[in-house]
Amino acid sequence: MNALHDVATEFPPQADLVRPREVESPGYWRQVRNRLSRDPVTIGAGTVLALIVLSALLAPLLAPYDPYQGSIMTRMKPVGFEGHPLGTDETGRDMLSRLLYGGRVSLLAGVAPVAAALAIGGTLGVVAGFFGGLVNTLIMRVTDVFYAFPSILLAIAICGLLGAGLVNTLISLTLVFIPPIIRISESVTTQVRAYDFVEAARASGARPMQLIRHQVLANVLGPILVYATSLVSLSIILAAGLSFLGLGVTPPTAEWGLMLNALRQAIYIDPVLAALPGAMIFVTSMCFNLISDGLRGAMDVRIRT
Amino acid sequence: MLTFVARRLLHAIPILLGVSMLVFGLVQMIPGNPIDLLLPPEAPPELIAQMTAAYGFDKPLHIQYFSWLGRTLQGDLGYSIFTGAPVARELMSALGNTFVLAVPAALLGFALGVGLGALAAFHQGTWIDKAASAFAITGVSLPHYWFAIVLVVIFSVTLNWLPAQGMGFEGLPGSFAEARSLVLPVVTLSLIPMGVVARVVRATVLEVLNQEFVATLRAKGLIDREVLLHVLKNAAPAALAVMGLQFGYLLGGSILVETVFNWPGSGNLLNLAIFRRDVPVMQATIVVLAFFFVLVNLLVDIAQAAIDPRIRR
Amino acid sequence: MRTLRRRAAALASAALLALSAGAAAADGGVLRIAMTAADVPSTTGMPNNGFEGMRFLGYPIFEPLIDWDLSRADVPAGLRPGLAEAWEVDPADPTRWIFRLRRGVTFHDGSTFDADAVIWNLERFFDESKAHFDTAGSAITRARNPLLKGWEKIDEHTVAITTKYPAHYFPNVICYLLIASPAQFEAVGADWNAFAAAPAGTGPFRVTKVTPRVSVTLARFDDYWNPERTPKLDGVELYPMPEATTRLAALRSGQVDWIEVPPPDAIPGLEAAGYDVVTNTYPHIWPYLLNVQEGSPFADVRVRQAANYAIDREGLATLLNGTAAPAAGLFPKGHPYFGAPAVEYGHDPEKAKALLAEAGYGPGNPLKARVMISTSGSGQMLPIPMNEFIQQNMAAVGIELQFEVVEWGTMLVGFRNPPGSPPTMGVDAINVSLVTSDVSYLWRYFHSKNASPVAFNWGHWKNPEFDALLDSVEAEFDQAKVDAAMVRAHEMVVAESPWLWIVHDLNPRAMSASVKGFVSAQSWFQDLTGVWIEN
Repeated sequence: MNALHDVATEFPPQADLVRPREVESPGYWRQVRNRLSRDPVTIGAGTVLALIVLSALLAPLLAPYDPYQGSIMTRMKPVGFEGHPLGTDETGRDMLSRLLYGGRVSLLAGVAPVAAALAIGGTLGVVAGFFGGLVNTLIMRVTDVFYAFPSILLAIAICGLLGAGLVNTLISLTLVFIPPIIRISESVTTQVRAYDFVEAARASGARPMQLIRHQVLANVLGPILVYATSLVSLSIILAAGLSFLGLGVTPPTAEWGLMLNALRQAIYIDPVLAALPGAMIFVTSMCFNLISDGLRGAMDVRIRT
Repeated sequence: MLTFVARRLLHAIPILLGVSMLVFGLVQMIPGNPIDLLLPPEAPPELIAQMTAAYGFDKPLHIQYFSWLGRTLQGDLGYSIFTGAPVARELMSALGNTFVLAVPAALLGFALGVGLGALAAFHQGTWIDKAASAFAITGVSLPHYWFAIVLVVIFSVTLNWLPAQGMGFEGLPGSFAEARSLVLPVVTLSLIPMGVVARVVRATVLEVLNQEFVATLRAKGLIDREVLLHVLKNAAPAALAVMGLQFGYLLGGSILVETVFNWPGSGNLLNLAIFRRDVPVMQATIVVLAFFFVLVNLLVDIAQAAIDPRIRR
Repeated sequence: MRTLRRRAAALASAALLALSAGAAAADGGVLRIAMTAADVPSTTGMPNNGFEGMRFLGYPIFEPLIDWDLSRADVPAGLRPGLAEAWEVDPADPTRWIFRLRRGVTFHDGSTFDADAVIWNLERFFDESKAHFDTAGSAITRARNPLLKGWEKIDEHTVAITTKYPAHYFPNVICYLLIASPAQFEAVGADWNAFAAAPAGTGPFRVTKVTPRVSVTLARFDDYWNPERTPKLDGVELYPMPEATTRLAALRSGQVDWIEVPPPDAIPGLEAAGYDVVTNTYPHIWPYLLNVQEGSPFADVRVRQAANYAIDREGLATLLNGTAAPAAGLFPKGHPYFGAPAVEYGHDPEKAKALLAEAGYGPGNPLKARVMISTSGSGQMLPIPMNEFIQQNMAAVGIELQFEVVEWGTMLVGFRNPPGSPPTMGVDAINVSLVTSDVSYLWRYFHSKNASPVAFNWGHWKNPEFDALLDSVEAEFDQAKVDAAMVRAHEMVVAESPWLWIVHDLNPRAMSASVKGFVSAQSWFQDLTGVWIEN
């Protein structure tokens, strides 16, 4: 319990107790695999997510229609309408095709900012944690400043100032996720650095880069990845929220948040049709959360988000 | 304890300075002259110059920053470009309206979250745990702006039980009838904190329960007050930290819900300011919200330290 | 005991009487309106938020010298005497207009309306040296009234206003200048912000409460000078609700009685549920303004015509559930100035393709154009789905449209700046909805002297013949001659199509069945004085 408080209770998210372990031990990963294979929820979520990702990737092959062309004569047709299994939207475009293509943008908006933040924030955090001292102070105090904004406020502020658009959405979300990732990777690194086997390696004259690569990274990566998976879920919801406010992706892009916004007024006419994009956001985000939970359990990472 | 509080207070100062610089810098990135919106096409150059000077946009950037910072510290947040009204007055009323939503939403979310989380932990592995956990994960995965619309369709338009939009009162609700307009937005807003808090409480309580002596006591079928107190005391700091963050999110993040419910809070004000390119209002709203966020985190730190002296490093 | 009871009964019946008296006075009820604005329009007597602001917080509370006649639904709204009973052009000087002011008019604060009040209000907008100069209000007024030059008090009830050049359409310009109470301004401490909280004009309604971003409450002004227009309503509550879905929910759950611009798809449902959906034509157009300068694809008149033929206006009207009428020019068909243009645009993709081929475009060489569109805005209707529809129309004839989606305010800035300048983001066209209520707009939109950034001729269209035609009648006071020239000018504009004529809005508003007596004028503005709420 002590470690929980010693590390970073000041600033959640907090990583506590990274199990000190000699990395690259095959037993650990086998254990993780074993645990995962006995976890039906995670397997189920993983399967659903894989289907969603796959269908988004294969959208050009699967989509029955051009997602950007429709006929005004067949607008707002209900789910099950002939030729349009999921109906048509407000300008008569095929919903199934748009949901498939929309998945590409929404998943991109979920994954890309987190990946970018992972690369940038992870590096900065590990560097800060490993070297400590002035480097640490510099990086962490700047992080503190970004941390003083609630995430959606920061995203809205940046998007509102840079203007709407996919690229600006990705930039703003990346900026939102960098500080928590720095925090968490810094605190995990600090802990790992203090472990005996790392100390021993250091004493035996290992160079910093070697140490980071072999000892620190392998220990740090797990917790951060688990955390990042849950961020993807948040990222999808935030990106769709930005589109919902008119600050995100611009029309006619097929994107779930934007489709949700456009079909909002149809909720009194065809609630099922209007609910489809929202349901896709919900299911996808749920899958990422469940997988994050599963990984956390299987990898025995204790982390608070 | 006092030194701890003092240290944390000092720590907040550079953060707030950084926040002010960041906000000021961000706002400078807006393309074009912010007063363009106000000027007629045939505006004579004198009028343009006069208005630019009136808002101080003719000065060099660093001078603008320091004079803005100085005025902000004295509580003078300038005047809205769009309405000409003092920003401080509008922001205070907007923040008040957001608090009216955020406080009950936080209380509801935290209460439900702690309840669900503890329930799940004490019944780990049973269907109760699974149901509570599923409920919690739904809370964090649901796009709440979408859920809000669904609530309106059901409870306002179809059943006609609750108002669909608007606040219906000023300041605080004066009667039960007036408070009806709070129900839907508060329920919507409480979803996320409910989910997050439930998950953290479950994990933390489990951790404590798995400690050896607690486990032994439980094995004997004993859950006395002392054990409960022990669990509470050890789980509280982590839960508090999360609650602090979540309350901050409620203040700053209610923008989507305020949009759906047409609620005249700070999120609504910020949204309006962004779409109007109203620089003074944007700057002030973001800075003040960040200030509250920092303040809430500070209070949480102090509360944690009060509960658990080990934190006072 | 007995007397006591009797007294109680007497008291009760007195209370009942008072109640019923109150009920009698409260006959008209309170009308609750949801506006599309995102905020309460300013209440200083010079509302922002465009013409919706003027509609609800302008004319009902403050009055101009020359007012709109909003009493009929069957003809375009014209002008009628307002605070001026009569006006004329000085026979000796065509730039000098003499206004004879109405007597016996009082402001809501009880002060008297007279020539000094008019002069004071002109100074408010046009004299920076005065303490009561109103910067924000001035910016809006000057944009609408670019030709006012000077003023002079002739006597207590007569003023003269001079213009920079003779213009027969000056009444159509001065009608946007509203008169506020100087005495009230002084009473609240000579501050426009304070005045906004407790304003006073001469109109049929007075403001009783302003809550920024939430609502404005109006009450009937019992001492209104015109008994025929004293409101039947006891009051009006105005709520800003920018989201169409929110307005719809507010109406359907009984929170308001009247909403502006219901979502078109919801109209059949509203009608089925017993709500009245009122539509009428009004002087509005939803066009694409084209950059016709060298280097733009729209420099070629054939391309402009092709694009006009490509649009399926009937389809667009279907998309909007009949809340829009196809446009064939700046003015709608049947308008006195519509004339008989040489080309008539219908949906003709083949003709569009032929014209494009003539201009050198084809399957191997598609025409690409970038258009600035907005997410919302006053008069913008449903910009996103409408533009996506047009995008599909254009693609069908080989024109690839790309959108630059901006927020309404950003678009207005782009609209004021010449094509190619940074605020326009280099777009070839801009989709900004515009007013067509009077002839002055033919000057503002198409005369080359008004090329941006001077005024509203955004795309720099220039036709010397057209310019000469307008010049010949600017100072003409013979209405018949003006009308003849306007018809010819409009025919020219349609044929050369510096804009894409797309649709005219039909200004839908939905109200509960208890709202009675509303006459939907063919105007951006509406008269609420004849309306009442039936219980």
